[in-house]
Amino acid sequence: MYSTELLKGTLKTIILKLLADNKKMYGYEITQKVKELTMDRIQITEGALYPTLHALEADGFVTTETEFIGKRIRKYYSLSPTGKTKAREKVKELASFIETMISLLDIKQKLA
Amino acid sequence: MYLISDQQIDFILDDLEAGGIGTESLRYDLLDHICVIIEQNLEEGEDFEQFYRSAVRTFYREQLREIEQETALLLTLKNRLVLSRNRFFFLLFTLIGGPFIAYTVTGMISPSPTAGWNIPFHVWAPSFVYSIFPILILLVLYLTPDRLDPVIPWKSKVVIGFRPFIQVVSFP
Repeated sequence: MYSTELLKGTLKTIILKLLADNKKMYGYEITQKVKELTMDRIQITEGALYPTLHALEADGFVTTETEFIGKRIRKYYSLSPTGKTKAREKVKELASFIETMISLLDIKQKLA
Repeated sequence: MYLISDQQIDFILDDLEAGGIGTESLRYDLLDHICVIIEQNLEEGEDFEQFYRSAVRTFYREQLREIEQETALLLTLKNRLVLSRNRFFFLLFTLIGGPFIAYTVTGMISPSPTAGWNIPFHVWAPSFVYSIFPILILLVLYLTPDRLDPVIPWKSKVVIGFRPFIQVVSFP
């Protein structure tokens, strides 16, 4: 498990990338997908996920559609056209950041 | 798979609202999330309320309302400057005291006969009041957070932007 501090800056990128790859997802599905893809090493908390999803919606990067399941409502999140562009930008930015960190911390040399 | 009844859904919704989740869409997001967890993990015969309480407890650090506050904060923060309470007071006092201190320093280094440590009263007195006094207020605020909380509560953030210019976002 990684620290919350470390994950905080990458949460938007993670969500945008997952939505780019999976068309539409609901909150629980996102948390499970992250757990599955990272083999439980990253667990997105509900307290971080939903505020971020709502902020992304307010920014116009994601759109929502609802489905009624009995008395409750399931909200599916998907990327808007600007969200798709944003997802590409964020992934590119994070990849570049990781490369810089590898170089800065001299990780390649230590791994070799 | 456990099947949640309508009464249990109402119970969860009421509990979320009582816990400080005032935004309806956020409440329904959390409701669905909780329902999926319960449906997939609660065994028949297990205590629903106890399971619900333990499941929802993993959502937050201290209080459920943190999720609502975090959401409100993220929605409020767009293109705004967010300052902690101490930073806000520091900025405020710097703006108030800064010109007086600059005036004093200028008085000290200027080539006039009154330059140096021989600073006239009308220069050093306002500087003292407008710089030392606010620092004392900051010290009192820091040492007695509970008593002086009404204006800007202890764990609140001060958001500076446009319409409104200053907004206090509280974290009770």
